[in-house]
Amino acid sequence: MGATRKPTRCSIAPPDLLGRLAVEGTPEQREAATCALATSAAMRSQRAVMGQLGRRLNIRTGSLAGATLETGERLSVYDNQTQGRQFLPGVLVRGWEAPAVVDTSVNQAYDGSNATYEFYRDQFGRSSLDGVGMELVSTVHYGVGFDNAFWDGSQMVYGDGSGRIFKIGALTSAIDVIAHELTHGVTEFTAGLVYSKQSGALNESFSDVFGSLVKQHSLNQTAAEASWLIGEGILVPELGAALRSMIHPGTAYSGDRQPGNMAEYVNLPDNNDPRNDNGGVHINSGIPNRAFALAAIALGGHAWEKAGRIWYEVLTTRLRPTTQFDAAAHATIDVAGMIFGEAEQVAVHNAWKEVGVLS
Amino acid sequence: MKLTIIRAGGIAGIVARTELDQQALPKSAAKDFAGEVSRARLSDQPPPPPDVPRPDTQLYELNLEWTGREVTARYTDDSLPEDVRLLVAWVDSRPERVESIEL
Ligand SMILES: [Zn+2]
Repeated sequence: MGATRKPTRCSIAPPDLLGRLAVEGTPEQREAATCALATSAAMRSQRAVMGQLGRRLNIRTGSLAGATLETGERLSVYDNQTQGRQFLPGVLVRGWEAPAVVDTSVNQAYDGSNATYEFYRDQFGRSSLDGVGMELVSTVHYGVGFDNAFWDGSQMVYGDGSGRIFKIGALTSAIDVIAHELTHGVTEFTAGLVYSKQSGALNESFSDVFGSLVKQHSLNQTAAEASWLIGEGILVPELGAALRSMIHPGTAYSGDRQPGNMAEYVNLPDNNDPRNDNGGVHINSGIPNRAFALAAIALGGHAWEKAGRIWYEVLTTRLRPTTQFDAAAHATIDVAGMIFGEAEQVAVHNAWKEVGVLS
Repeated sequence: MKLTIIRAGGIAGIVARTELDQQALPKSAAKDFAGEVSRARLSDQPPPPPDVPRPDTQLYELNLEWTGREVTARYTDDSLPEDVRLLVAWVDSRPERVESIEL
């Protein structure tokens, strides 16, 4: 643990000094102090402190060389008991390899995290989100009637849903939603796609791609058999069937504005207005989503075997934080030729042409 | 006095609007509402948004209109002050609130 770090960065100093540096120091001092705090106490008791410190300082404690989260256990699930942000992660309710509990949300978070962990390990040889075995921590029952699930930079957080947007209890029920959120962690540790406009829409799309692949794998579906829906059945019925359709963007629910072609790209500003969605990251992801689904169907068989391999290689080795659609498209074509061959390259190229990203 | 809460972002990217007009409330609840609003201090400078936006974070906008004036404050789920969170929860508990989805 922490073996790859430069020794000077994890110095030994009194905890009160470290605490002060972690809050008041220069960015370098803050990172070093946080790292030292992380390694100087028992992992389990430090988790809540580290999570809150990370949120308060807006740093990614999870990325500090695994200093905080590499516990040797694969995953664990906590209960927030509807107390909100100040009570993360909450109370441990199911540790790794512990038997199922009465609470369905706990078991769903456990099973979904485990399926995602095994998918990345078995298909791509990846050890957890950070590639070095980070423990997957989940918290359920976050806040009161909270209509969201998210990866907070060091752990998964699930609300119960209000019954007005999400069905109550639905946010842990969809394995593709769990894998979508955990994939935001993989992206954070690899490409680091900036969550704004086109790079943000790519960030969203990679989460939908691997979210859908984990679901397809769990159902042993071929690309032709898959529904390509994200979050099927989790919205209240008045809103619609699913959050997104990768194959037919814009058709998943009544307010779905996703385009499936570059000609309909929705150019929103990234200006802190909640309505503008960081420059349309959940809207324009429809374009690369459809490119992936078309490529996977054209390549045939199980989508994770060829298309998934290509997209994984691109996400983890070929992108920069500010990569735009066209550069990501070229990278997938390049990697298709490198791993497979000319026929696969043509299929991937055609998919990007069909959605208007390449001509 | 009228409060409009926009909740957006999140995994769905859905823009949900919740409105509560003080006039729709019974007298004692109207007084409680005024107390909750004043405690939330919406006119204060909101905490800055994180330098690096977190994927699928829930985003908030609260707009308060009263006697020809208005104030708008924006927060992320990370930065939402506790008293604003309590105000949102109070509004969510009132049957007089009006909910809609912005399309
Ligand atoms: Zn997302």
